[in-house]
Parts: sequence; C-alpha cells; structure tokens
Amino acid sequence: MRIDVYQRLMAVQASRRKFLGGAAATAASVAALGSTGVLGTMSRALAQDSASLRAEILKIPGVGMGSPTDADWQKVGEMCLGPTKATVQEGEFAGVELTFMGLNNQNLHNFLFRGFLKPWEAYTGAKINWIDLAQADYNPRLQQSIATGTVDFDIIEMGAPFEGDTAGKGLLDEMPDWVKAQIDMDDYVNYLKAPVGTWDGKTYRITIDGDCHTFAYRTDYFGDGSISGMAAVPTTWDEVDAVSKAVKGQKDPLTGLDAYGFLDPLKGWGGFGFYFLEDRASAYVKHPDDKAWLFDPDTMKPRVNNPGWVQAIQDVMDLIAAGAYPPDQINADPGATGFQQFLAGTGSMLCWWGDIGSNARTSDTSVVGDVVGFSINPGAKKVYNAKAGAWEEPAEPNFAPNMAYLGWGVYVTNRVSGDEKKRKAAWSAAAHLGGKDISLWMAAYPSGFQPYRNSHFNYDEWETAGYDRAFIEDYLGSNADSYNHPNAAIEPRIPGIFQYYSVAEDELAKGFAGQYKSAQETADAIAAAWEKITDQIGRDSQVKLYKASLGM
Amino acid sequence: MTTTSPNVGQTFETVGVGTSASRKSLGRLIIIAGTLLFAAVLLFQVLYAAGVSASGFASWRPVFYAYFLWAASVVLGQILIRGEQGQRAAFVLPAVFFTVALVIFPTAFGLYLAFTDWNLSGSVGRRFNGFDNIVALWNDPFYWNALRNMVYYGLAVFFEYAIAFGLAVLLNADIKAQRFFRIVFLLPFMLSPVAVSWMVGKSIMENRFGPAARLARLLGWDNPAFFTDPWIARLSIEVMDAWVFIPLIMILLLAGLQALPKDLLEAARVDGASPWQTFWRITFPLMLPVSITAILIRIIFKLKLADIVINVTSGGPGGATDTVSSFIYREYRDRSNVGYGTALAEFYLIAIVIFITIALLVTTRWVSRYSTARAVDRV
Repeated sequence: MRIDVYQRLMAVQASRRKFLGGAAATAASVAALGSTGVLGTMSRALAQDSASLRAEILKIPGVGMGSPTDADWQKVGEMCLGPTKATVQEGEFAGVELTFMGLNNQNLHNFLFRGFLKPWEAYTGAKINWIDLAQADYNPRLQQSIATGTVDFDIIEMGAPFEGDTAGKGLLDEMPDWVKAQIDMDDYVNYLKAPVGTWDGKTYRITIDGDCHTFAYRTDYFGDGSISGMAAVPTTWDEVDAVSKAVKGQKDPLTGLDAYGFLDPLKGWGGFGFYFLEDRASAYVKHPDDKAWLFDPDTMKPRVNNPGWVQAIQDVMDLIAAGAYPPDQINADPGATGFQQFLAGTGSMLCWWGDIGSNARTSDTSVVGDVVGFSINPGAKKVYNAKAGAWEEPAEPNFAPNMAYLGWGVYVTNRVSGDEKKRKAAWSAAAHLGGKDISLWMAAYPSGFQPYRNSHFNYDEWETAGYDRAFIEDYLGSNADSYNHPNAAIEPRIPGIFQYYSVAEDELAKGFAGQYKSAQETADAIAAAWEKITDQIGRDSQVKLYKASLGM
Repeated sequence: MTTTSPNVGQTFETVGVGTSASRKSLGRLIIIAGTLLFAAVLLFQVLYAAGVSASGFASWRPVFYAYFLWAASVVLGQILIRGEQGQRAAFVLPAVFFTVALVIFPTAFGLYLAFTDWNLSGSVGRRFNGFDNIVALWNDPFYWNALRNMVYYGLAVFFEYAIAFGLAVLLNADIKAQRFFRIVFLLPFMLSPVAVSWMVGKSIMENRFGPAARLARLLGWDNPAFFTDPWIARLSIEVMDAWVFIPLIMILLLAGLQALPKDLLEAARVDGASPWQTFWRITFPLMLPVSITAILIRIIFKLKLADIVINVTSGGPGGATDTVSSFIYREYRDRSNVGYGTALAEFYLIAIVIFITIALLVTTRWVSRYSTARAVDRV
C-alpha cells in the first residue's frame, strides 16, 4: 500500500474514532431502544463504519502483497482500537505492567500480539512484558508454573485443552460482563460456545482461534490425465492411500520434483503430533451415536487399541512399507511438513489447521496458492462401534472432522484479581486481541489462527479484500463444514491430555520404525501407557472431567 | 620453599594475635545470629509449606536471602574468630556455600523426589511411593534402549580419539600456518551444539536441498535420508557430535605432545627408529596418561549428549538415536512426570559415578602395568 493512500485511510480512521468515542456513552441505549429515529441512524452508521473498517484492514498489506510485517500489525492494531477507546480513558492504565505468555511459532502469535498491542499500550499507558515460548516448550512451562505455584504471567495465550489444568485449579480470573459485550461472544461458531471456555458455569476465555483440521490437496494431482489417475479428489482414507501409492515414482506437475501423495507427519511434536493420527482414526472410530472416541467415558479405559485405531495405524504402516512418503519423512518436524513441504510443493495432500489456507496465497514461501483445494477430512467406509464392539459399514462413508485443539484463546490469570485497575487492563488487552474486527484480519492473513466467528464466513468481505471467490469459498467452506459437522470429534478438556499424546508419539515412533510386530502391538503399548497416566493423575477425577468435557 | 617474606608473615601473625577475646565473641555472636535467623526462616517456611502453619512467605525467596546472610555471617565470623586462618577460609567458604546451594542440596532434594509419585497434572500432589519408580525404570524399555545407545555412542569415543590424535600429531609437526590451523581446527568446539543441530542436522543434511544430500545424490544415493535408517541416523548424530568435540580431545592431546621430552624423541631418531616406531614405542606410551584423561573427559561429555538429538531427531527413528538425557527430557518436560523423571536422572548419575570410578581404577592399573612392561622391554 502506498504511504499517501495509507495516510488518507488513517485520517478517515481518526474521524471514525471521534465518532465512536462520542457514541460510546449511548451505545447501551442504542441496543435498548432499537433502530428507530436518531439512535437507529447512529446504529446504522456504526454498522457501516464497522464494515468500512473491516474492508480497510483487509487491505493491509493486501492479498498477494507478501507476508505482513510488524508495521502492518501495528496499523491494524491502531485501526481496531475503537472498542478499547469506548471503555478505557486515554492513559487510564499508566503505571500498570502486565506479563503476557504465549507462543512464537513461525514468528507469529506473540509477534502479532506485540504489534497489535503496541498502539493499545500507547493509548492506555500500560506496559506489557512478554514471555515467548516454542510450541514444544509450552506445555512443560505451563505445567511447571502451575505445580510449583510460580504462575508469573497475567495474560496467557492458551488452548482449551488446558482449561482443566488452569480453570479447574482456580488459577484464572472470571471474565467481566463488559468484555463479553465488547468482543461479541454470540458471534462465535457454535462448537466454541460454552462449555468451551467455561468452567463450573463461569466464563474465562476470549477465543482468538477456531481449531480443526481440514483436508488440503493439490488440485493439479486430480482430474483427467492427472498423475494420480483419479478424476475426482479422494474423499475416503482408502482412496487417499491409493493416490499416495499411485503417484510414487512420478514427477510433481508444479515443481518437477518427485511426486508424493498424503503427508502424514510421523515425528513427535511435544504431543501435538498425535493429532495427525487422530485425523485418520476419527473417521474409523468416532461413531455418530457415541460422543467418546479416545477413552471409555465410564472407566477411562483407552480406546486407542480398538480395531478402528489399529486400522489407522496400519494405514500409515502400509504407506511406510510402500515407500510412499518423502525420504526422511519419519524425521520431518510436523511444522516442516505443513509449511516447508506442502506449501513449498512437496506432497499433494495434507490434514492441517486452517493456517495452511490463509498462508497458501499470502505467504512468501508458498508456491501452491493457485493449485490448492480444501475439504473436510476424509471419511472411512467402515466405522468401529465401540459400544457394540463391532465394525459397521454405513451406506455413506463415516466423516468425523477432528476439532484438534479447540483453538487458542486468551485468558487472564488470578494474579490480577486483587487489583481492579490491573484486572481491567489485562482484560482490555485480551479483549483488544479478541475483538471482532481484528479477528477478521487474523483469519485472513498469516497469524497462526483460523476463522472462528460466524462473521468470518461472509465471503463478500474476503472477495472485496482481493481473494478469489472460489478459493475462499473452498477454504472457508471446509472450516465451516468441519465446525458444523454433526459427528465432529471433539477434544476432551482433561488435565494432562498432552501427556497422553506425548507418550503415544513415543510408542508410535517405535511402531513406525518397525520395532513392534504389528499395529495392534503398537496400539496396545499406547493403551498401557495411557492407563498408567490415568492412574497417576487420578482415574476418578479424570472420568468426571472427561464426561463433563463431552457434555455427558 | 616459600616466597612469603618474614615481615609479611609477621604482619598476618600480628593480626592473628590481635584477635582479641571480644572480637572472637563478636564473631561467634554473628555466626550464631546468622544461623538462628536462617534456621528460623527455614523452619517458618517449611511448616507453612507442609500445611502445619497458617502463615508463611509467598515464595521461598526469603529463605534464599536468609541462607545468603547465614553464609556471610559464617565468613565474617570466621575472620573475626580465627584471624589469618579465617581470612584464608574466606577464600574457600563462598565456593563451599555456593556448591551446597546449587549442587549438593538439589542432588539431595532430587534423591527425595526420586522416591515420589509426582505428576504435575495429578489431582493430588507429590506422594512418597517407595521403590515404585526404580521398579518402573527396571521395566522401562525406553530407558534401556537409551542406555544401549549410550554404549554405542560411548564406543565411538575411541574413533574420535584416533582422529583427534592424528590431528594433534599433525598440528604438532613443523607445518606452515600452524597457528592458523590450530584455531581453525578448534572452531567447531566453539559452536553451540544447538547451532550445529540446525546448521548441520537441519540444513546441510536436509534431504531435499541440503548440500550433503545433493552430494550424496551425485555419488549415486538416489534418495539420501540421514535420519531414517537406525544405524545411519545414529551415525549422523555421532558425526555431528564428534565434529563439535574432537577439537577438545585434540587440544588436550596437543598439549600432551608439546610437553613430551624432546631428548627421547631425538635419541630414537639417532638410534635409527622409523617414524612409526617412534610413535608406537615412545610417543604413544608416553601419551597414555594424557590419552586416558582425554578419553574419560570425552566420555563424560558424551554421556550428557542430548541437545543435538532433541533438536534433530527427537530420539527417532523409533528411539534409535535416543540418549538417556533426551529420554529424561521428554519424560520430565513433555509428560510432566517429575518423580519418575528425577528417578531416571538420579539413577543415571549414580551409574555414571560408578562407571567413571571403575574406569579410573582399571585404567590407572593398566597404565601402571603397561609402563612397567615397556620398561622391562626396554631393559
């Protein structure tokens, strides 16, 4: 964007802010009196202003203009300060210092937050200190802080799976009502509404992400005359695996390098790597009549060694035996598989979070932007009914999108509970990051986050921003279809969930390296390790929390 | 022989004589006050942490401050009570208190933790569980796999030693740009193993675009993969680790070579010994004590190998490159299993101490016998 254009935009923004400031005092009246008369005109003006703001922030830096920079994040943060100014006086938090703990994945997350919050700091007078963590360091850092009573952060970027560890132990501060109004929680997609983000009926979470895995594929691998030999994109795992075997030995139509099919990340990732086996397994084990799929809800007996899970492990072992993965795939970091392999043109299919979609056309390192398509995760032609203890073959394949991680949220810890000024500052900062308008920008550009509000699925906004309509409907549609799927595989919010995943990664690594005789033996080893963890953490409490997280 | 002048000694003596009864009393008082203060603060906080008392500090930091004050009072008290002797002790005591605080106490506390069941996500806190962790360790295939890998990595030290000895001999020879080459060969040792993990393991050995992979393709390896086959993966990790640490062995050996008596080597040359005979019958035996020291130091470093493994392979494929430290890292960090993780670490520490002690005894005896045999040979 040219500087003069940007400055004109900022001038418009300044007048909008004055208008918002004046309107803030009457905002509650507007809601109460409806859209009639003068207030109705004001309400429409606010709506138009918001639409204008959303359109303008989506132009920063603009689709196809390369990766956004810190300057862009600051611009967006500045332009989205309206709701903060409606609730906080300038300089109100002078002297307040807050500590924010979050991630530094892909130079995103905290890096964005810094940029977004810089104008917030300048306006409010508060100062934020940062604790940056790598993905794999996150869980241990958090657990050690909790266990040793050394929680040293006021605001934390955290996934819903950790709510059992934090909210369950009384470490979080309850969200004030003014924050709920500021961030418009009703706009969240349904699966992210309560009970996610709540504990014992109290709300703790400002959602900034909506996690699920979707199926990303290369369109140039399918169709008449394609190297896969398939006219249509595969929709079930057996078709996916057939493609992986079919393209072996051929050349990638885009890069000219060796062609590969599905990219299963096979290496551990501090527990996060287990999600990729779940992508396959959920189709085989998440029965539409049963909410549970990881454990038996009455006993916490692992289901990970039932025939459905074993089938998923066997599928991967078969592909390893067939040499269908890129060399050294067994040692490829999952992050590298998504961003340095798939987006760079190695491999043709992948299950990943939504940031593959938002990066495909906006990241400098992506080469697949014009040949990438999306759908919900593949299904399976048979599904294991754990209650009946038997396979079933439904008329249509069984689909069960994996709601992996339930998305990141921003939480405030109880360190601020005793200091009302600090508490308001912490919630104001969190609300700024979880604001409705800023969230649209995060969903549209590389941020580490994917769409999570109903308003994010307004395709017109994306098209106006410069996205290709077909691409965005495809990408966002796969997210929306996953979120709204009736048989979605929901992750349990129980303490120590990543311990289960981490030990499973170790056992899977042995299985994939051929150290166990079979997929069943591998799965049995995982189940035995999970039983130990459940006993150690406390079986009764885990049963109770697991049932609660499933809404049972 | 002493270099201390009588006058200086006398000055100290005067100070010693000047340690009056009142100063001694003051010294004792300071020590007692410091000790009581530390004991009181410690007891106060221990009772609070144990749930016996309702009041206590929010953190253990005041206990640390009290410990620091206690240490200072002991040092000051010693000077006041013992004069010159106390001043001498003042040079050593800070190191003693430092070691107690940062080595002995953590090790002892770790030993206690090793007998507890403590999962950070547990619904209850730390619980004493007797020998359960030791039994679990005994039946843990991941731990024994890691120990077996340590044997492989440990044996590789002898290859590293051979290469390092060759380089040391080379750099000890009268070659051009000797100083330049000494610095160049030392450079890898100055690099952080984490940096080596990324520069070499994740970049140079990257299977698609890494220079090592490209070279391997040129040499006829169609799909070079350095971390997929268990033995190639182990070898790759070993190569990276060796690259970092061979310079350490080399520099130790080079120092030993430069300290060798030149007259022996000249006598051998005058007597018509070939270079190989000179090396094998004179240099190598004379270098044995230095060699053993270098090898043992390197083995101690090797037993701590973790960073390269964690960064490059996470212990894979299937635990083929796992080390005890990298396994403990996962158990402790990823799975928050503090009790068991600490038990693994304490067991490993004890095993290392026993191993190194035995190795020292055996090698000392062997060197002694070898030297005697060579002496008899020469006679």
